Amino acid sequence: MSLLAWSAVALVVVGLFFTIVAAVGLIRLPDLYTRAHATSKADTLGTLLTLAGVAVVFQSGVPRIKLGLLAVFMLITTPTATHAITRAAHDQGIAPWVLGGDEE
Amino acid sequence: MSNHNPETERVERPYTESSVIMTTVRVVAPFVFTYGLFVMFHGASSSGGGFQGGAIVAAMVLMLAFAFGIEPTQRWFKNTAIVLLATGGVLAFLFIGVGPLLLDGTFLEYSAYGFKKAPKYGIEGVELGIGAIVASVISGLFFAIARGFEYTEGQQ
Repeated sequence: MSLLAWSAVALVVVGLFFTIVAAVGLIRLPDLYTRAHATSKADTLGTLLTLAGVAVVFQSGVPRIKLGLLAVFMLITTPTATHAITRAAHDQGIAPWVLGGDEE
Repeated sequence: MSNHNPETERVERPYTESSVIMTTVRVVAPFVFTYGLFVMFHGASSSGGGFQGGAIVAAMVLMLAFAFGIEPTQRWFKNTAIVLLATGGVLAFLFIGVGPLLLDGTFLEYSAYGFKKAPKYGIEGVELGIGAIVASVISGLFFAIARGFEYTEGQQ
């Protein structure tokens, strides 16, 4: 395989690693706020890296422009969605998990 | 919620809008509406179609409602507009689909009216009609559900 193909594979694999980190964080972390923290950051980075890997594969211009737009909108909307969810949770009075606090 | 005092739970706090959400929705809205139309028109030649495009447009209406409040959004997207869009979509489909039957054609025979490039524009017209129906019905259902919740809370 050429260097381009290998770099695309590497980008996708690293992106998948961050997506798995996000999934593990979603399952393992104790409450909504920490889970949102883990998923929003790691998932955004994983998505962007995977899109970058796909952009390396496409040689022509138009798919790359589409992928760039997709990346920009993912970068804007994913953190905003997380912000909206955590803000609504805070608004509803859901207490954040603290070390040594009562666990349910 | 169960360990809350019911009296403090009833307190109607004024909802303070988040500037982050409002700015994002304001920036993204025109692109998402354009993307919805793009998906509707692509139904003829590639993946996409009226249902998906309509769902995207309706999702944007829901996002506007979440960001700016349901009441202002409904003042902007009135019930009459919703009904008109749904009816217009059905009429467009009837015109394109059933209309040829009256002109001795078959169901959805696009070339019956004698337009140029009739199949292309016929499919896109049908997709656009379906998109209008889906978008208006989903946002209408959302507004109806939102109104229902307010009503039951007022009753208690």
